[in-house]
Amino acid sequence: MTHKVIKVKDNDVVGSTNDFLRNLLSSGKIQALLVPQNTPSKKVAFPVLISDPKKFHADIVAPILPASTATIVSKMTKVQPPSKPIGVVMRSCQIRALIELVKLNQASLTNIVIIGVDCPGTFPINTYTEFPEKKTPTQFLLEAWTKKSDEAEKYFRSACRVCKDPIPTNADIILGFYGADIEKEIIVEAHSEVGKNILKELPLEDEEEWKSREKAVKELREEKAKKRAVFLKEKEGLKGIDKVSEFFDKCVNCHNCRQACPICYCKECLFDSSVFDAEAYKFLRRAEIKGLFKMPNDALLFQLGRMNHMILSCVECGLCEQACPNNIPLMDVFIPAAENAQKEFDYQPGKDIKEKIPMIVYREDEFLEVGEK
Amino acid sequence: MSEEKKDHKKEDFEPKIVGFLCNWCSYAGADLAGTSRIQYPPNVRIIRVMCSGSVDSMYILRALLEGADGVFVGGCHPGDCHYIDGNYKARRRMVLLENILGTLGLEKERVWLRWISASEGQKFADTMKEMTEAVRKLGPSPIAKHWNL
Repeated sequence: MTHKVIKVKDNDVVGSTNDFLRNLLSSGKIQALLVPQNTPSKKVAFPVLISDPKKFHADIVAPILPASTATIVSKMTKVQPPSKPIGVVMRSCQIRALIELVKLNQASLTNIVIIGVDCPGTFPINTYTEFPEKKTPTQFLLEAWTKKSDEAEKYFRSACRVCKDPIPTNADIILGFYGADIEKEIIVEAHSEVGKNILKELPLEDEEEWKSREKAVKELREEKAKKRAVFLKEKEGLKGIDKVSEFFDKCVNCHNCRQACPICYCKECLFDSSVFDAEAYKFLRRAEIKGLFKMPNDALLFQLGRMNHMILSCVECGLCEQACPNNIPLMDVFIPAAENAQKEFDYQPGKDIKEKIPMIVYREDEFLEVGEK
Repeated sequence: MSEEKKDHKKEDFEPKIVGFLCNWCSYAGADLAGTSRIQYPPNVRIIRVMCSGSVDSMYILRALLEGADGVFVGGCHPGDCHYIDGNYKARRRMVLLENILGTLGLEKERVWLRWISASEGQKFADTMKEMTEAVRKLGPSPIAKHWNL
């Protein structure tokens, strides 16, 4: 692992990281960067693919995740990966999702340099665009961070509050805030050969091991694990058909959650297929079973079916919840379900690119009690 | 109504069970039970599928949400799958479905997976008896009265 440092000038964290990324882009080591940048209205930050260093005004701290970066990388690499390296700036949940998409043959890491950024958490899109404080969301977040206060917590998306790991894994280069005094410095680490080669040629000061980071990361993970345990305990009561049907009562079967999900990649989703179109008499026959049934039909079947299909790869990014037009707090069921299902198969999505997705492999000598009396 | 009477009512109810049987083993097993004139409860509605591995969790969920009191999946014994490993995959899928039903408290006891070969007509009949009684004990599925799903 290579350890470097970005010196923060004039207390300008975003500007200093931008200098680093601009240098990286100018160095010719990568031909373009996928990085969040505020749109001209400054109201929202979207991932942009930048090839011209002069147009570079990114904001990697911007606490917003408008769309799945993993899906964007999948779209850029699935047909044919780039012939020269592209740097992609990603948060930990999106790197996990990208690893899952690679396992599902929906993305390639050929010539993709993953630049992971420590994630303090993100706000819902509308909170970001209509931010109630007098500062920009980025300033507010950075100030809260330097003060070590949790005043940004109340704005976070629920998925971020109980994030299982805000520290990127499987990145080539990591830009770290945890363990650094961000008024002065930002941690840069290379975690792969590719990352090392890139950092070698950039004008960065060397740093010995980041002991402070190790400690800060450990503490952060412990704190997150505690919050998660409390959350899981709280949601344990959501059991039984009465509560489950009440929970999904507002679902209009629009499939936005599936559209936003980085894992749901199927070109033709079963739930959009003609399986759900039928002759009128079949609808009537279904009505006769219970006397009546709710339309649009099969909303709960969609939710539970989608859960069955993707939960083992669920990276808990919460984009489904953000996409819901009726504000169903989907993470309340998806996080406990992911926790239990992934534990059952001893599988952590996004952890190891060589590990196969549980539903495509099996062992003859497992789950022997299932299928027998 | 006294408790005793209520229980009596529960015992009276006839469960509706949807059974997905694989073409090569369990369906043939059911057929053998029939041709051998082995009696078993008529509560199961059999749907023939080519392999237990082809039973997506969707099929099972659909049956449950439509108000089935139980869902049965029958496949070849491990190692005997006509398609080599379909039943091993079915087993994993069942573990996942049961796990999710468990998380949501949706009575995973109503979903059964059993291995029944083409020669096990008696085992098929016995399993149907066993499952019908087990589901009868559980009572009518609470999902059946929910029309807002």
